[in-house]
Amino acid sequence: MLIEVGHFALVLALVISLVLVVVPSLGLYQNKESLAQLAKPLVWAQGFWIAVAFFVLMTAFLTNDFSVKNVAENSNTQLPVLYKASAVWGSHEGSLLLWLFVLSIWTVAVSIFSKRIPSDLINQTLIVLGSLSFGFLLLLLFTSNPFERLLIPPIEGRELNPLLQDFGLAVHPPMLYIGYVGLAVPFAFVLSALIRGQLDSTWIRWTRPWTLVSWSFLTIGITLGSWWAYYELGWGGWWFWDPVENASFMPWLVATALIHSLSVSEKRGAFKQWTVLLAIGGFSLSLLGTFLVRSGVLTSVHAFATDPTRGLFILIFLLIVIGGSLVLYTWRSSLLQQSNPFSLLSRETGLLINNILLVTAMLSVLLGTLYPLILDSLDLGKISVGAPYFNAVFVPIMIPGVLALAVFPYVRWKKDSSSRVLNLLKFEWISVVLLTLLSWIFITRNIFVIIALALFIWVVIHVMVLLLKRLKAKSKVTMSFLGMVVAHLGIAVFVLGATVTTQLGIEKDIKMNLGETQTIAGYDFVFNGVSPHSKDNYSGFIGDISVFKNDRKVTQLRPEKRLYQTGMPMTEASIDPSITRDLYVALGESLEGDAWSVRIYYKPLVRWIWLGGLMIAFGALLAAIDRRYLVRFRS
Amino acid sequence: MIFSWQLLIMLILSGLFFTWFLFKPVKSGLSHNESNIAINKQRKEELELDINQGLIDDDQFQVAESEIVNTLANELRNNNKDNIEIKPINWSIAIFLCLSALSIALYSQLSPKFLPGSQVLSEPMTMDESIEKLQSFLDENPDDFQALKMMGLAQIGIGNAEESIKAFERAYIINAEDIDLLLQYASAIAATQEGQFDGKARVLIDQAFKLDPQSVQVLYFSGIVAAHEGNLKVAIELWEKALYLMPVDHPDRNIIKEALDTVLNLQVK
Repeated sequence: MLIEVGHFALVLALVISLVLVVVPSLGLYQNKESLAQLAKPLVWAQGFWIAVAFFVLMTAFLTNDFSVKNVAENSNTQLPVLYKASAVWGSHEGSLLLWLFVLSIWTVAVSIFSKRIPSDLINQTLIVLGSLSFGFLLLLLFTSNPFERLLIPPIEGRELNPLLQDFGLAVHPPMLYIGYVGLAVPFAFVLSALIRGQLDSTWIRWTRPWTLVSWSFLTIGITLGSWWAYYELGWGGWWFWDPVENASFMPWLVATALIHSLSVSEKRGAFKQWTVLLAIGGFSLSLLGTFLVRSGVLTSVHAFATDPTRGLFILIFLLIVIGGSLVLYTWRSSLLQQSNPFSLLSRETGLLINNILLVTAMLSVLLGTLYPLILDSLDLGKISVGAPYFNAVFVPIMIPGVLALAVFPYVRWKKDSSSRVLNLLKFEWISVVLLTLLSWIFITRNIFVIIALALFIWVVIHVMVLLLKRLKAKSKVTMSFLGMVVAHLGIAVFVLGATVTTQLGIEKDIKMNLGETQTIAGYDFVFNGVSPHSKDNYSGFIGDISVFKNDRKVTQLRPEKRLYQTGMPMTEASIDPSITRDLYVALGESLEGDAWSVRIYYKPLVRWIWLGGLMIAFGALLAAIDRRYLVRFRS
Repeated sequence: MIFSWQLLIMLILSGLFFTWFLFKPVKSGLSHNESNIAINKQRKEELELDINQGLIDDDQFQVAESEIVNTLANELRNNNKDNIEIKPINWSIAIFLCLSALSIALYSQLSPKFLPGSQVLSEPMTMDESIEKLQSFLDENPDDFQALKMMGLAQIGIGNAEESIKAFERAYIINAEDIDLLLQYASAIAATQEGQFDGKARVLIDQAFKLDPQSVQVLYFSGIVAAHEGNLKVAIELWEKALYLMPVDHPDRNIIKEALDTVLNLQVK
C-alpha cells in the first residue's frame, strides 16, 4: 500500500500545483490578499507530498520491492545499500522525480527565505515555480510513472548500470540537479516581474543571491561529474565534451554571464533587458539539457530514456516555456528602463565583454552539440563533433575572458581613464613578466604552460593587490568582494591545473610482465601480478603495482578489472593522489602468460582542476551571503 | 481503482492545512514601494562607500546619485488598492472539493487496477473464481494489457491452452514488446504443439531475443528452441550465458542447470 501512497502523493501534488497556479493568481489580480497569501502554504503542501513520493520510492528500493517496475529494472538484492538509494535516480523515472523533488525544495526555500521580498513579487514567483512543477508532474505521472506496478513481480531485480555504482555518481546528480533546477528561481523572478510589469530594483536585487546559490551548486555538480569521469571511466580524462556534459555546461556559461550582468543591473541600473534575456536563456538551456538527456536523442551513459512520447512532451513543454517567456518579454520590454550610460573604459564595458564572450562560448558549444543531431534527424549522415572542435573553438574564446578578469576589477564604474588603469597595472605587469621569465628558465619551456602560468601569476598578484588596497583604505571587505576574489582565484587555479595536466601529463599504454618495471616521470612502477577478486555483485581481477621514487617506496596501487552480473566489464583505476600530481594506473586485458596490458598516467596538478571548481563555487556562496541580502528592511 | 483510508487521510490533511491558512493567512511583507526605497537607499550608501574608498571620483558620484534618485522616482507607484476580504469557509470548501474531485478522478485513471499479491490479504480464491473475477473486469476493461496477460496465465494454469492463446493474442495486439508476454504466449502455443516451439512460438521467442538478448528467461527459452532444432552447441552457449548472468541463489538456476546437463550428456553420448 505504501507504493500507492507515493503514487497518490504525486497526484495530490499535481492538483495542489494547479490550485497554486489558479487561486493565488485570483488573489493577486482581484486584490484578495488572503487568497494571494495562500501561495506559500500551497507550496509547502506541494513540497511535502513530493518529498513523501520521493522517500516512498527510496524505501521501495531499500526494501527490494520488485513489484515496482522501476525497482525491478534498476536494483537487486545484491546491490550495496548506498547504491540501492542512489539507484532511485539511476533510472529515467526516478531521475525525473529527483528533478521535481529538487524543484520543490527550491520553491519551498524561496517561500521561506522571502521575508525581505515584497509579498506580491514572492507570491507571483511561487505561482511561476508552481506552474513549472505542474508541467513536470504531468510528465512524470503520464509518461514516466516511477510507481508503476508489475502484476507478477520477479523474485530478483536487474542490475543497476555498473557505471552508476559509484560514490561519485551517488552524489553528482543531486548536486548537478540542485544547480540545474535552481536556475528556475531567477527565471521565475524575471517572469514574475514581467507578468506584473514591475521591472524595478527589487527583482534584480533578489534574483542575484538565488542565481549565485544555484550557480554554485551547478559548479559543484559539474566539478563532481568531472572528478567521477576521471577516476571511474578508466582513461584519466577529466572532460570529454560529451553532449550530456555539454547539456549542463551550457546553462553554467549563461548563468555565469547572468551573475555578472545582474551585478551591473543591481549596482548601475544598466543591462536590464540583457539580464532578463539571460535569466530566460539560462533556464531554457536547463530545459533543453533535460530534453536532450531524457528524450533519448543522445546515446550516452546518462541517456536512458528512449520513449519518444517523453521526448515529445518535454519538447512541447520547452517550447511553451521559452516561447511564452519571449512573448512576455516582447510585450513588456517597453517597461524596461533605458540603460544608464557608461563610457568605453569602464567596469560596465568589462562585464559586457565578459557576457559577450560567455554567450559566444555557449553558442559554440550549443552548435557542436546540436549539429550532429540536426544532421542525423534530416538524414544527412552521422557525424561526430568531439574534443578537437571544442578545443579549437571554445578555448580561444575564453582566453580574453580570463585576461579581462585580471584587468576590469581595477576599472571604475561608469568612466575611467586609461592612464590611471595603466598606472595601477604597471606594478602587476612587471611582477608577471619577472616571475614568468623565472618559470621559463627554471620550470618549463612549454609555451601553453607558460601562458597559463603567467595568467595565474597575474590573477594571484591582482587579487593580492586588490585586497591590500582595501585593507590599506581601512574599508570593509564585504562578502560580495571576497566571493569575487575567491571565485576569480578559482578560475586561475583551474586554468593552470587544466593546462599543466594536459600539456605535461604523461600517458603510457604498455604490456607488463610479472616483476617488470616501467619508469614514468621519475617514478618506477613495478608489476607484482594480478589475483582473482570478488565482492557483492561482481567478480574479477585485482592488480598489484608498487611505485618507487629514488628507491623509496611511494605507494602501492591496486587497479581492478570487474565483471558484473550483467556481464558488463568495468575498469576501476587505482590512483595515488596529491596536490602536485596523481599517479594513475588502470588494468587493461590479460595477455599471454602472466602479462597484462596496463595504462599508467602521470597527471601533474590534475587536482587543481577540481580545487579551482570548488573555489569558484565557494566564492559564489560567499557572495550570496553578502550583508545587503541579509539585512531586513523596515516596512 | 485502489483507494484506501490512507489516501483519504492524505486528502483530508491537505484540505485541513489549506483551511487553516485561509482562516489565518500568512502575514504579508513589504510593499513594492517600501522595498524599492530601501534598496535604492542601500545603493546610495554603497555609492558613498565607493567615494570614500576612492573607487569613484566626485563627478561620477554626483551623476550616479542622480541616477539612483531618478530610478527610484520611476519605480514608485501608487499602489493604494483596497484589500477585498474573502469568506474563508467558502474558499475552504471550494478548494477541498476541487482537490478531492480532481485527485480522485486523476488517480482512478492512473492507478493500477490490481495490487500484486493483493489476493493474499483476503481469502484465497480458487483458480475458477480468479478467472471469473478477471473476466468480469475484462468485460469492463477489454483493453487492459495486464489483465489480459493474467487471464492468459490463469487459463494455461487450468490447462485451457486455447483460451490462454486467445487472451495472449489480445494482449499481444496491445503490446508486442513485452518480453514476459512473448515467452508466456510462446509457451501456451507450444503446449498445443506437444511442447514443440515451432511456427509462431518460435517467431515469438526470436522476437523476445531481439528485444532483450541479456534476459535470463529469453536465453533459457531460446536455448530450448535451439535444443529442439538439434543445435546443441547454440543451446549450451545460451544456457551457459543465462547461468553466468543469474545470481548464485536464483531459484530458476537449477532448471537451467538441469537442462544444460541433459544436453551435455546427449553430446557425450
